[in-house]
Amino acid sequence: MPKLNQDVVIVGTGETPVGRLHGVSGVEIQAWAVRNALADCGLTLRDVDGLVSQQPYNLPNSGYCLTVAEYLGLRIPYCATLDIAGTATSVGMLQQAAWAIETGHCEVAVCVHGENSVTGRPKDTHGFALQIFAGGEEFEAPFGPPSPPAHYALYAQRYMHEYGTRQEDFGAVAVAHRNHALLNDNAVMKKPITLEDYMASKPIASPFKLLDCSIPVDGGGAVVVMSGKRARKLGLKGIRMRSIVERVTHNAMVGGVAIDELGLEPAAKELMNSAGIGPEDIDVAVVHDAFTISVILMLETFGFAKRGEAGDYIRAGHASLGGKCPLNTHGGLLSQGHFGGFLHTLEIIRQLQGKCGRRQVEGARIGMVSGGGGIFAVTSGMIMEGPAQ
Amino acid sequence: MNVPHSSTTAVFWDACKAGQLKLQHCQDCDKPFYYPRTACPSCGGTRLEWRQMKGTGTIYSFSHVHLALGGYKSWEAEVPFTLVQIQLDEGPRMLSRLVGKAEESVKIGDRVTVAFTEREGETLPYFRRTG
Repeated sequence: MPKLNQDVVIVGTGETPVGRLHGVSGVEIQAWAVRNALADCGLTLRDVDGLVSQQPYNLPNSGYCLTVAEYLGLRIPYCATLDIAGTATSVGMLQQAAWAIETGHCEVAVCVHGENSVTGRPKDTHGFALQIFAGGEEFEAPFGPPSPPAHYALYAQRYMHEYGTRQEDFGAVAVAHRNHALLNDNAVMKKPITLEDYMASKPIASPFKLLDCSIPVDGGGAVVVMSGKRARKLGLKGIRMRSIVERVTHNAMVGGVAIDELGLEPAAKELMNSAGIGPEDIDVAVVHDAFTISVILMLETFGFAKRGEAGDYIRAGHASLGGKCPLNTHGGLLSQGHFGGFLHTLEIIRQLQGKCGRRQVEGARIGMVSGGGGIFAVTSGMIMEGPAQ
Repeated sequence: MNVPHSSTTAVFWDACKAGQLKLQHCQDCDKPFYYPRTACPSCGGTRLEWRQMKGTGTIYSFSHVHLALGGYKSWEAEVPFTLVQIQLDEGPRMLSRLVGKAEESVKIGDRVTVAFTEREGETLPYFRRTG
């Protein structure tokens, strides 16, 4: 079990507007997010001695952390680029920062991801080629569209076959996320939707319709991680990282394992056990939602709902604000916008800080973030604990 | 599309050209696997031999694709088509595609057989439903 230092805390978050950020480059977005995160906890760039960056997927360059450090004028003892995959990376970045602080490389580290993946896309391309995400193109590209929806759809179809999940259950996920996004001023989707809207949305790759798919956006997010000692000195109330987990089984769909062999279940068990809690102890959660199936799978694997019953769980309001464990209160990748998964991590931190305004989960103290990458290839997770509010 | 082949993966594609579905079999743990690798993903063994498969199996999962992002240029005119995972009778699962247009009657468990298809200079192991 990975050990987390009990004296490293999260103290600040920063988010840029999401949507179409015309005329803003990837590194400018990351720098923007870093400045916002530092301002959030009253620090300046002079306080920063560590940086962990995830490079943009649309125009990656090697050594991206150095690009960001140079742009910000940072001359620091610790800098790293991290890419596990997709939304799994955001948890990994916090872990990397915690380890760097714990081992004395630095005292104040900023984790950042941001990209202009929509407005900065190479000309004449539509979506991302799957090989950018998942490799394996030699045995994938000749058969399918080399893009994510159809590959996630294969898991969705199989899941329906094994557990009886219905189209309406996916629709319930889409509607619940949209309802949350309506409470987030920084979400791109502004119109309410109904199950009827969902059912009438155009087919993409069965069983997926348009409203099963997340919405790509430009945007950036950053988190400030600090030694407890420094936080106490500054009088900052920090969020503790209580447990962390990662499980890898494959990458691309050509290597995709059966549903009961995925890393989600062992990851979920270890995450809960090592924090000494169960799903009933979690006040608010954010989970991977690139496609609606992800949310069904996460809810049923992490023990919030029984197999095949996540749709009922959502329809009963348990995953909505005011429910048992509000989920993806920011609207998620499905309705806030999708550029990696860092905004999930930001949301859980802000919920535990009590900074979520009209979508605040009252008294939230224990939060869970779970990320995924590849085609259910890697699962990451973290349990966080905030100060009593 | 012309994705480059390694000397190991070229054996698979050359066999397809000859109308044969050949997969590697690990002589250490006695298991077949797909896709071609330089070592067995089950045990790490490197005593591998190529064996010809019957090319029959069942549909493990499928998706009718209505929006072809990327891929071959001609695909946009071919949608909807059906992406499949095939459970080969001999063990491994393959990602492939059914020949022809998507058919609503496709379901998990349908029997299939390999149907080699020529595209842009490659011979691809697509599948066709049988019975």
